[in-house]
Amino acid sequence: MKNLDSVFAAYVIGWGIFFVFFLSIVRRTATLRSEVDRLKNQLPKAR
Amino acid sequence: MTKRILLGTVATALVIAAAYANFFIAPTERTMGVIQRIFYFHAATAWAGEMVFFVCFVGNLLYVWKREQKYDWLGVTCAEVGIACISIVLITGPIWAKPVWGIYWTWDARLTSTFVLWLLYISYLLLRTLIEEPGRRALLSALFGIFAFLDVPLVFFSIRWWRTQHPAPVVMGGQGSGLDPTMSKVFFFNVLVMHVFCAFLIVERYIVEKLRHDVDLLQREAEVQ
Amino acid sequence: MSLLSNTSALLGKELRTEFRSRELLTTTSVFILIVLVLFSFATNPGTEEARQFAPGLLWLAILFASSLMFQSCFLREQVNDTLSSLRLAVSDPFAIFLAKLIANTLFLLLTEALMLPFFAIFYNITLWSQLPILWLVLLLGSAGIAVAGTAISAISAQARMRELLLPLLLLPLLTPILVVSATVTGGLLDRDPVVQWKGIAFLAVFDVVFLTALWIFGQYFLEE
Repeated sequence: MKNLDSVFAAYVIGWGIFFVFFLSIVRRTATLRSEVDRLKNQLPKAR
Repeated sequence: MTKRILLGTVATALVIAAAYANFFIAPTERTMGVIQRIFYFHAATAWAGEMVFFVCFVGNLLYVWKREQKYDWLGVTCAEVGIACISIVLITGPIWAKPVWGIYWTWDARLTSTFVLWLLYISYLLLRTLIEEPGRRALLSALFGIFAFLDVPLVFFSIRWWRTQHPAPVVMGGQGSGLDPTMSKVFFFNVLVMHVFCAFLIVERYIVEKLRHDVDLLQREAEVQ
Repeated sequence: MSLLSNTSALLGKELRTEFRSRELLTTTSVFILIVLVLFSFATNPGTEEARQFAPGLLWLAILFASSLMFQSCFLREQVNDTLSSLRLAVSDPFAIFLAKLIANTLFLLLTEALMLPFFAIFYNITLWSQLPILWLVLLLGSAGIAVAGTAISAISAQARMRELLLPLLLLPLLTPILVVSATVTGGLLDRDPVVQWKGIAFLAVFDVVFLTALWIFGQYFLEE
């Protein structure tokens, strides 16, 4: 079947973009959550 | 948390179902062949992306009116998700076009306005990085977002009415009229799936903004002490 | 009507400020001239094909010039914080915008008036027969550029990297103006001139849409 590789390329690239975007969200969430935990731990010590 | 996991699971399941439908349920198109299967993913993502930008527009309006942070978070979230969608549309389109039309790109109304839409929301995000103060950033980007959204129909119609229609291929939408019933069902299923998937991305991305806000609050509390 | 009197007072101020030094007009005019000359080097103005591109190039030159011209629009109010005084002086903040956008439209039209003879000479185009309609197109197009430009100028003045930011925000917004103005101008300057009233109406619609948006949201651009 001709053009099948184009079809696969389109789906792979398309979902690839969504996947990379989702990964960046996960990474940012993880960094921020650990930052929140770090700051929360700092506060009682200061008191 | 469980609601998020549920949404994520449902979204993933739907995506897999849609992929199956696109390749095994939808019949092969007579003239174009296999390449036409890109259409389901491409056009559904385009519709979902445009809906996401509409939600961004609503968020912008609500922010200017009510000045609640959550609307600003909604705006930037939808802008990012929308750009992801439209980037995919702009890439899968030419991949489909080259084998079918022989050209990667044409300056017809739909493609051009999609491209300008993409540029405008990239500018929206860029604008946000260049304003430090959060309140001002939220307000000015919301105002720009409103102007940008109002501009898009104007772009579409200006190209549609004043750019010579070369014997240009009728873009995807032309198939809408007289689409085979199975293809039609598969297409609208894809539209539903992409909307659910985008909703999932919006929820997850929104949480990043909320967490950023929490970090800011905690940092300020730490400074006070 | 206080909006009218506020606007005319502020408009007077804008015009007086500019005509005292004329720096904006001169630099913008020279810039459009340079752009037209560069286009002439890049293309081949004598040929028939170049004549087809000429209206588009004219409007491109106007767009580029305007993205420079609007830089100072709200920046000059930041220097001595005159913006606060303006805000206090008027009852309706829209008057500030209205005055600035009328002034900007006038400045653009003046620069275009200076440039048209050069354009006609470089590209071997006769303008006389269609001059009134051409001016209508220039007016509506420049007004659209000025409305969007004034709004974006207010935004970029409050951000970093404003020299780059203003064109970045403004030029995609002005795509409809570029497309329609260039096409209508092309129709007018053709060997068999044709007036595209639908295009002229579209330009008017663009102007009204953005003017209305600015009227509704203008006050928020200038908030403290």
